[in-house]
Amino acid sequence: MTSLTTFYLSGILGKEAFGSDGDAIGKIKDLLVSAVPSGQNDPGQQLITGVKLRIDGVTKFYSFNPFRVSKAREMINVTCTGLIELSREEVDNGLLLDENILDKQIVDLNGRKLVRVNDVRLATLPAGTFAVAVDIGIEGLLRRIGIAAPIKRVLSLFKISIPARFILWDDVQAIDFSNLNIKLSKSYAKLHMLHPSDLADILEDLGKKSSASVFSALDEEKAADVLEELETDAQVHIVESLPVGKVADVFEKMPADEVADILDELEDDKAELLLKEMEAESSQEVRELLEYDDNLVGSIMTTDYLSFSGSNTVEEVLRELRLKKPESAELYNMFVTGKDDRLAGTFNLRDLVVSEPDKKISAIMKSEPVSLYDDQKTTAIAELVSKYNLLAVPVIDRNEQLQGMVVVDDVVEDLISERRTRKRK
Amino acid sequence: MAGLKIGIHRRNIFRRLGIFLMILGPGIITGSVDNDAGGITTYSVAGALYGYGLIWTLIPSFIVLVVIQEMNARMGIVTGKGLADLIRENAGIKITFLIFIGLLFSGIGNTTTEFAGVAGSMEVFGVSKYISVPIVAILVWVLVVKGTYKIAERIFLIFSISLLTYVVSAIMGKPDWESIGSAIIHPRMELSTRSMTMVIALVGTTIAPWMQFYMQSSVIEKGLKMKNFKYTMADIIVGCIITVVVAFFIMVACASTLHPNGIVINEAKDAALALKPLAGNLASQVFAFGLFIASIFSATILPLATAFFVCEAFGFEAGLDKKWDEAREFYILYTGILVISAIIILLPNAPLIQISIWSQVINGILLPVVLISMMILINNTKIMGTHVNGRATNIIGWSAVVVLVGLSAALLILPVLRL
Repeated sequence: MTSLTTFYLSGILGKEAFGSDGDAIGKIKDLLVSAVPSGQNDPGQQLITGVKLRIDGVTKFYSFNPFRVSKAREMINVTCTGLIELSREEVDNGLLLDENILDKQIVDLNGRKLVRVNDVRLATLPAGTFAVAVDIGIEGLLRRIGIAAPIKRVLSLFKISIPARFILWDDVQAIDFSNLNIKLSKSYAKLHMLHPSDLADILEDLGKKSSASVFSALDEEKAADVLEELETDAQVHIVESLPVGKVADVFEKMPADEVADILDELEDDKAELLLKEMEAESSQEVRELLEYDDNLVGSIMTTDYLSFSGSNTVEEVLRELRLKKPESAELYNMFVTGKDDRLAGTFNLRDLVVSEPDKKISAIMKSEPVSLYDDQKTTAIAELVSKYNLLAVPVIDRNEQLQGMVVVDDVVEDLISERRTRKRK
Repeated sequence: MAGLKIGIHRRNIFRRLGIFLMILGPGIITGSVDNDAGGITTYSVAGALYGYGLIWTLIPSFIVLVVIQEMNARMGIVTGKGLADLIRENAGIKITFLIFIGLLFSGIGNTTTEFAGVAGSMEVFGVSKYISVPIVAILVWVLVVKGTYKIAERIFLIFSISLLTYVVSAIMGKPDWESIGSAIIHPRMELSTRSMTMVIALVGTTIAPWMQFYMQSSVIEKGLKMKNFKYTMADIIVGCIITVVVAFFIMVACASTLHPNGIVINEAKDAALALKPLAGNLASQVFAFGLFIASIFSATILPLATAFFVCEAFGFEAGLDKKWDEAREFYILYTGILVISAIIILLPNAPLIQISIWSQVINGILLPVVLISMMILINNTKIMGTHVNGRATNIIGWSAVVVLVGLSAALLILPVLRL
């Protein structure tokens, strides 16, 4: 017997396990692996901890410790030196390879997308049996159907090999935990490494149940970023399937204009409920934005902007920025306001960086800045942005008071589609 | 952020064109694709062969069609998952493999039938199939891969109103409404292999297995919701009515002209040609034009849908928004189905009738398998929650399964009994 035996999940499911005396004990129905990752590259999370065994018509979970898997002449043998039943809790903390992984969609963390599992590759070492990788290739598919060997033989005549595709166990995240009672936030821990827009793409591709449960496992900051990136349909589904309190908490972490856009899609009762649940300050901003019609500048402006007094020095402004640590979009364009919140000028990060620390902002700002009115049509934005090469345009009302700004990120899709339609004409 | 803006735009258009887009729902598109070249052929042959005798089959077909599509819509809305996904996750890999190999072959067979429709209808206008088929195949491929598929779908849908030309064809044939009525009220079926085959073919072409997958995916793509289900239901019913009404008039057109004169036809093209001396040149050309549009419409959607569902089931990347390198299996499958089907048609002496019969046999076997999978899935509370089937739906669904299995079994046994 070699010290390393590799085999596939499909090869062991349904196999009979034999006792040390050579008698058949029971049929292997499933394998259990720890569902809660204790850390990256920790071999403990790959260890097979339990086995679902069917003995005389009764199915129970037993510890996999006394089990050994060996291979002799391509035949897999499973031997067992004793049966130790697992506690409910131990089972609940585990992930079932057949029930939760095989044939299911999982997240490929490196490829940042959903893949379907055709098989799982396992290895027995002196230290135990481990889940090594998931098989997502055509070979795994053919092996499961039981026609891999003959097809390979035929293709080998033509010197063609079937490509095998594996993803290491460390680089996958299971999604379907519907049968388990484990803490979800912990079991989805690996997903936090993904960029919000990748996560959003994955959520959109998932079924409704899974997308809601994955989303609810995210912390509020991440959840807010992901919700922003989702398509409208998916946003509405997520918001409607989570508790109001949780959604309100996430909304508070989002820019008011994004929240207003989502609320616009909901039924009035639901929107009102969410607004009431949110903190007064955040909900007030959203309410103001909701007043605007869909095709007006006000409806897509953000109220998260930075404004300073002209008498501030460059030094003071920089210090405040370090303290506030604003989002990068807020730094695209910063504003100077005078009496009654009237817009007096704009300046950007470059202006700050290249100026002496003791200079007054009023001396470096561009006065008479380009701006939009909040009740102007959104169609005016594209022209302004491309004409003046602006990343963010201040929005004022008819009293010249600063109301917010339109960020290019929010309109770029519209700009692209507008150019396309113009080209087609 | 980005998607959201597009979403709002879409909603704006949606509000403005409200009624227009509401009519163009998934049910209506599915219902229109259903009247493809294979369908037109089967209805024509049935009408020519049995007169008004088999028109009654449209009524049970209609009921089963509505019930099945309602289940698909419900599954799509509740789970947000395609039927292929659900079958793969719950039925195991071997059944999945069988279903999708079957679906792939019937996809190729059906697409071949669509190209036969293109070839046949253009021949009525005097265009050789060696010109029409390659042009249409390339046109369809470019249309779909160059990303204007959604627009194409809309255009075809408007064109498919031309299917109503069959009403014109039918009326020009001066049908005997009284005997149509009595044929529907007193349904009859002779116990012969030939008429059994015809009935299975009629049901099989009206309730094609791939449509179930198509319906469920379109519902998900449209982002429909359970609280608006009555609109979805209306859309499904209208779609099914379109299917059945068009089928009815095709059968009437052939039954009132070809049947009394004892003209036997094998292809839809034959029907168009045979109409010429009996109902006039215009009726013949109108019939051929309807066939042409229906064939291109289905030749656009069928290979695409088939490639998509096979990829979905086996976990390959799929979708027109993916590049060739990202979704190689998908593009190879899609292109392969189109190319193989077009080549089969262009082969001199291609056994078209056999291909069309075989793809309907595959459909006939596949349909109960898909239906049984659906019935099991939709009654699973783990998947459907509170939206599992009600009793009435279950009774109709399972009866349909029993009848279809019975018909297929009878078809296999009858020749043995009459040795």
